[in-house]
Amino acid sequence: MKQLTILFGILTFLAFPVLAAEEAFVFDDPAKQKIFLELTQELRCPQCQNQNIADSDAMIAHDLRRKVYELLQQGKSRQEVVDFMKARYGDFVSYKPPVTPLTVWLWLLPPLFVLIALGVVFSRRKKQTEDFDEAVLAKADSLLEKDK
Amino acid sequence: MRKVTIFMIPLTMFVVLSIFLYKGLYSDPRQLDSSLINQPLPPFSLPDLMQPEVTHTPDVFKGDVTLMNVWGVWCVTCAVELPYLTQLREEQGVRIVGLYYDQDTDPDFGIKSIPTIQKEVEVKLGQLGNPYAFNIFDVKRDYSLDLGVTGAPETFLIDKQGVVRMHHIGDINPRVWNNKIAPLYNQLVAE
Repeated sequence: MKQLTILFGILTFLAFPVLAAEEAFVFDDPAKQKIFLELTQELRCPQCQNQNIADSDAMIAHDLRRKVYELLQQGKSRQEVVDFMKARYGDFVSYKPPVTPLTVWLWLLPPLFVLIALGVVFSRRKKQTEDFDEAVLAKADSLLEKDK
Repeated sequence: MRKVTIFMIPLTMFVVLSIFLYKGLYSDPRQLDSSLINQPLPPFSLPDLMQPEVTHTPDVFKGDVTLMNVWGVWCVTCAVELPYLTQLREEQGVRIVGLYYDQDTDPDFGIKSIPTIQKEVEVKLGQLGNPYAFNIFDVKRDYSLDLGVTGAPETFLIDKQGVVRMHHIGDINPRVWNNKIAPLYNQLVAE
């Protein structure tokens, strides 16, 4: 049993380098490597929508990954790469939508709902305490007395 | 009266949400507005597919209204539209220029040789008809990327000044041509 566990452990570690070697985009600068990984997560594949270009195997995703790599190697900044893609594929290509009069609701609506809900809850609670019925309370008290 | 308004709030919210989602049912997520519309074509300098020693630049679009058709022999839908495009060329004299790119040509390795690709193209066009005045060979698929091409077939309607006026994703068939492209095409030709 113990041998099996050790074997399993060894196999697990053997598998990791295989994953890493899937596609070789080598960077000298680890900072650039990090930006590359972030960008391929954040950019959306225009062909297989709902996949980012890191996940997608469509040809366009391959091409976009290669382009991101090229641009970063040329010393372009993260924002410059995003702008490059947006100029060609529109805002759609980024999973981070820009703030426009239309999209601003994405951020405004959730807090707005929370505020409205809180408002409703508080106003109701206040009304309940105001509408307190003395007669009902007296009746309840007498019932409790009887039970004793 | 107060009760009515309280019941109206969820009802209106429901109606608004329903309309929003109902519209979503019929919206086509592939219908993306090209950022190239009313912009001149991005600069390029690419070889001709059949005569690689000839180099094309955006100047080839000056003076004529042109359909630039992005295609490849590996693309099934392109084969479907080739006969109709050929018909458009022969019957209406539409100038169609191909932007050819190959799937198997890895920019870093180049698996397929140019003569092989030329042979494939000749066979395909011999079978289905040749609508193209000539084909621009997008060797590394860089230009397709500049154009915002997501796949094939895609077609750009380019006016006499070399400005992109329409970007159509998908095949061109009689319905698409008559309803979507022909009105603007005729208007551009008349200009």
